[in-house]
Amino acid sequence: MTAGLLLLFDLVLVTTLVGLAIAALISPDLRRAVMLFIAFGLWLALVWARLRAPDVALAEAAIGAGLGGALMLAAARRAARRASANGGIDAEGGEA
Amino acid sequence: MEILLETVSLLLVGAGAFFFAVGTLGLVRLPDLFCRLHALTKADNLGLGLVIAGLLPWAADPFLALKLVLIWLLVMLSGATGSYLIAKRALRGDGEDLLE
Amino acid sequence: MSEIFTAAAVVLVLTMAAGLVRVVVGPTPADRMMGVQLIGTTGIAVLLLLGFAFEMPALADVALVFALLAAVSVTALTRRRVGQDRS
Repeated sequence: MTAGLLLLFDLVLVTTLVGLAIAALISPDLRRAVMLFIAFGLWLALVWARLRAPDVALAEAAIGAGLGGALMLAAARRAARRASANGGIDAEGGEA
Repeated sequence: MEILLETVSLLLVGAGAFFFAVGTLGLVRLPDLFCRLHALTKADNLGLGLVIAGLLPWAADPFLALKLVLIWLLVMLSGATGSYLIAKRALRGDGEDLLE
Repeated sequence: MSEIFTAAAVVLVLTMAAGLVRVVVGPTPADRMMGVQLIGTTGIAVLLLLGFAFEMPALADVALVFALLAAVSVTALTRRRVGQDRS
């Protein structure tokens, strides 16, 4: 009973994790990619918790999802602002 | 006694999962941003509160139970603040990178 | 009791995967951030349920960090527009 449930749990977790990683990598809009990355970090922390490694999950949630997400959001904002100041010709990807 | 406790816990956790499912359904299906915000806060506060209430009788020591209640209070506080900020920026339209 | 907690965790993970649709397609960044917030809260519930099912109370600390960092990322997104002329 529990083993089957855990297998289903792992299957959902792994499938969605890979899907999120691909979606974050191929996203043309920078802010969308950053938000997908935050969701990916939360999901990866969940995977570490499932693997019975709460310390790694703690580090992943704090650094990968929280601080990294906020910093990359600020970086994406600055890149978009610089691209629009250059008349939109900066090769930053996305619509700037 | 034990079976009663299990039944109550099962009902509370099931109700919490139901609220989470309904909140997710609302977030995906509702038409505009404020309706989705409404669905989101229901799932946040009530769903997590019911799940934690169902888990409380199984906490091994009182400090763990206290930590669970603290997590719920923190989520309510941060959820209310975040929803207020999102709604304010969306209403005034002065968010820097919120609405374009 | 551990089976019930695991089953509830599976249901919640399925709803999280459904909520990801809003993060991927959401028309505005505010919609995406709301999806991320819902994923964070549901993740807290899943972590607590897993912690009780595996008898690992340390997962409650991870849930606490989730609760703290949801506030950080929402606040980082909802900045007011200031200093338009900076480049």
